[in-house]
Amino acid sequence: MRLVTRHTTALVATLLLTVAVIPRAQVRPRAQERPARIISVVPALTEALFAIGAGDEVVGVGTFDKHPAEVATRTRVGGLLDPDMERIFALRPDLIIFYGSQQDQLAQVTRAGIDTFTYAHGGIDDTLSVIRQLGARIGRVREATHLASAIDTQLVDLRTRLEGRDRPRVLLVFGRQPGSLGNIYASGGTGFLHDMLEAAGGRNVFEHVSRESIQLSSEAILTAAPEVIVELTYDDRVTEDTQAAEVAVWDRLSSVPAVRNSRVHLLLGNQFVQPGPRMADATEAIAHALHPDAF
Amino acid sequence: MLHAEHVSFSYDARPVLHDIDVSVPTGGLVGVLGPNGSGKTTLLKLLAGLLPPATGHITLDDLDITAMDRRMLARRIAVVPQETELAFDYSVLEIVLMGRYPHLQTFELEGPADLEIARRTLAATGTAHLEQRTFRTLSGGEKQRVVMASALAQFERVPGASDGQDIAPDEDANPTRVLLLDEPTSSLDLSFQLATATLIAELNRTYRTTAVVCTHDLNFAAGLCRDLVLLRDGRVVASGPTDEVLTPDTIGAVYDVEADVHRHETTQHLTVVPLARL
Amino acid sequence: MREATATLPALHPVSAGDLRRRIWLVQVGFGALAVAACIGAPLVGPTTISLRQVFDTTIPFGQNVDAQIFFIARLPRAFAGALVGGSLAAAGVVLQALLRNPLATPFTLGVSAGASLGAMLVITLGVPLTLLGSAAVPVASFAGALGALAIVYFLATMRRQGLSTLVLLLAGVTLNSLFSAIILFVQYLADPSQTLQSVRWVMGNLDVGSYRPLVWALGPMGLAFVAFARLPRALNLLTLGADSAAVRGIDVLRTQRVAFLSASLATGAAVAVGGPIGFIGIIVPHLVRLLVGADHRLVLPASIGLGAAFLVVCDVAARTVLSPMELPVGVITAMLGGPFFLWLLVRNR
Repeated sequence: MRLVTRHTTALVATLLLTVAVIPRAQVRPRAQERPARIISVVPALTEALFAIGAGDEVVGVGTFDKHPAEVATRTRVGGLLDPDMERIFALRPDLIIFYGSQQDQLAQVTRAGIDTFTYAHGGIDDTLSVIRQLGARIGRVREATHLASAIDTQLVDLRTRLEGRDRPRVLLVFGRQPGSLGNIYASGGTGFLHDMLEAAGGRNVFEHVSRESIQLSSEAILTAAPEVIVELTYDDRVTEDTQAAEVAVWDRLSSVPAVRNSRVHLLLGNQFVQPGPRMADATEAIAHALHPDAF
Repeated sequence: MLHAEHVSFSYDARPVLHDIDVSVPTGGLVGVLGPNGSGKTTLLKLLAGLLPPATGHITLDDLDITAMDRRMLARRIAVVPQETELAFDYSVLEIVLMGRYPHLQTFELEGPADLEIARRTLAATGTAHLEQRTFRTLSGGEKQRVVMASALAQFERVPGASDGQDIAPDEDANPTRVLLLDEPTSSLDLSFQLATATLIAELNRTYRTTAVVCTHDLNFAAGLCRDLVLLRDGRVVASGPTDEVLTPDTIGAVYDVEADVHRHETTQHLTVVPLARL
Repeated sequence: MREATATLPALHPVSAGDLRRRIWLVQVGFGALAVAACIGAPLVGPTTISLRQVFDTTIPFGQNVDAQIFFIARLPRAFAGALVGGSLAAAGVVLQALLRNPLATPFTLGVSAGASLGAMLVITLGVPLTLLGSAAVPVASFAGALGALAIVYFLATMRRQGLSTLVLLLAGVTLNSLFSAIILFVQYLADPSQTLQSVRWVMGNLDVGSYRPLVWALGPMGLAFVAFARLPRALNLLTLGADSAAVRGIDVLRTQRVAFLSASLATGAAVAVGGPIGFIGIIVPHLVRLLVGADHRLVLPASIGLGAAFLVVCDVAARTVLSPMELPVGVITAMLGGPFFLWLLVRNR
């Protein structure tokens, strides 16, 4: 057990990064040349690269990259914890996209003369600006600006559509021990998930907690009494079939208005926990759950 | 009488004792001598019923001890090991009361009679003043006496108590009660060695406690024991009354040492002085 | 020969009933402590609730927030804390005596590592989310505990006739490392969200939310406690050493077997309910020994009571200190227990 707990702090820190990854770009002053061979271990930015037309230049992707489907044909080079440096060098990249916390690897590839692009946390606006910066970095300013504007427009449209509506008090859950109400993780009042919830016309019941992620006791949920519970999951095992059973787990907290009024929604897919090109779609899906009559 | 008849024993495939015949008369005081690895401690464990003999029998007053109930046996055979290390710190009184285990039912607590017995055995071993001390704070000699008191507490019957109910009917009125001591002097200084010898002799004389003493110390055994058993390589080389067994010849045969054996003028005990290795 | 049973000299008379009184005092005192903790804990929390409303039967339970906070969020946690704390403390006492090692814990013999592996497999790999109609995680972790128990027991008994406590210890420690390695491997392969859950599970959580896992756990725990009730005096003798215990009439092998199996069963059930919550099994028995001495007839009941009360109180801290965030209860017991453990180490040497 000691072995496990020793890694706990590191893992939790790491996971918070990956679960609610919000990019904040850091651009190196370099020429406007287009890199021909790009490696990205950051799923959201891999997706963004494909979305701005740089997919053909992507030669290596991270372990957890799933979108778009083309990533399946690229070489996997590990992830946040375990980048395979040998494989990375063998791919002869001229740009590598790393997490900001991968300091050792950043130093290593910089010594090898390879350009890097790093990022850390942020909200929706940060995500949009990182997409623009990434575009600038790889010489695809126009495409990146277009993508960012499209996302922005979609979100503005959504806000307009929801204007004047009551904003229900929402509990936004992104982690839970399967089959039980144990170890519930929810969005606090900062970060990408919180921004998405706000944009989708909801009011976060834990907006006063200035953290991205909070682990809740059942008492906290009973006391917060959310009107809607939105649970995001990208657990492969939760299928349409088991969805009902997982929603039914909440029935125990029957005094919570969301439960009493059958307003517990389980949304499947990694777009909900991965800030990237699909985040406007994800926000819209949350809005559908919160305001079904607005569409 | 405690009697080992044609007893052999092996650890895994390694034979340790061959065809041993040892007889300890009731009220006897027997020393078991022999070099390292001669099988002394194994013999002691067999006599205590801790190991089953591979062949032969060990009987206590004609009852096979392997067939006896463990608790019945514990009331009649007690062991004082070479050293007692405690995992937790008990008081001296608690250690002695542990000797009362074979007299108590599963959930029965030690009663006033058991406490009195414990205090009597503490007094008999000269450790009454240590009663409230914790065992770990005692010196080696004190520890040994307290363990001896605990062993003696196993023998004592509570007069007229329910204790008698579960005693096997074939146990006669004056059964043999045997104290087995493993290297009682090995960790003691000269003064405590002497005190231990005196105590064992006294218990034997006053309460007719039968004692079997395993030891390296020839002079200690010569001064204390009426009978000796000399072991070498798991076989009995000689056994009988101390004066007959302890001779330069037998010592040579057991230890490969040339020794001078003479009677000490003051104590009238045999005294062994090793002269040279053979 | 006639004098053989003739007695040793009589001494001053002895005061009667002392031990009986102390056992009674310990059972009542520490039992009351546990009960008080269980009654007090649900009254404390970050939310102020009205007891009148909690027990107001005119409000349907489905709409009675105070009642739900009391009966769903707090009471089952208190009961879970008491069951888990009492079981881990008792298992610690029994294993320390069995191994004759004051530093042994309920987790020394690999049972909890087995339980953790079971839980990890359900959390991270593609196995069903419910087993036998219950949430899969506790069921799988209990199964893992039984698996580890079987392996260690088999190893410790296969070589000789007896049960080697040395092999028991070595097998347990080795199995702990092996399972921990497999757990890390499983976590490494898992998706980040699953890894987060599995890491969180290891920190311990008593927020069971319902009474069902507790009812499940009562079976194995009850069995273990029935066995514990018969053990204390034999454990006293075992601390003298196996031979010294045997010559005082103890069936050493049977005692060791019962001690190992019952302590492991209690540990497995406790870990299945609350995760591997550390340090309870070591600090509570030692604290109790400082208070009541080494006699297991006092140490065992006192440890059960104190272990239950201690974990219930730690869990109140877990759910209130950072409210609305939950603080892992295993972190609290470790932060209190670690320094205490070190103090014990230097104190005795």
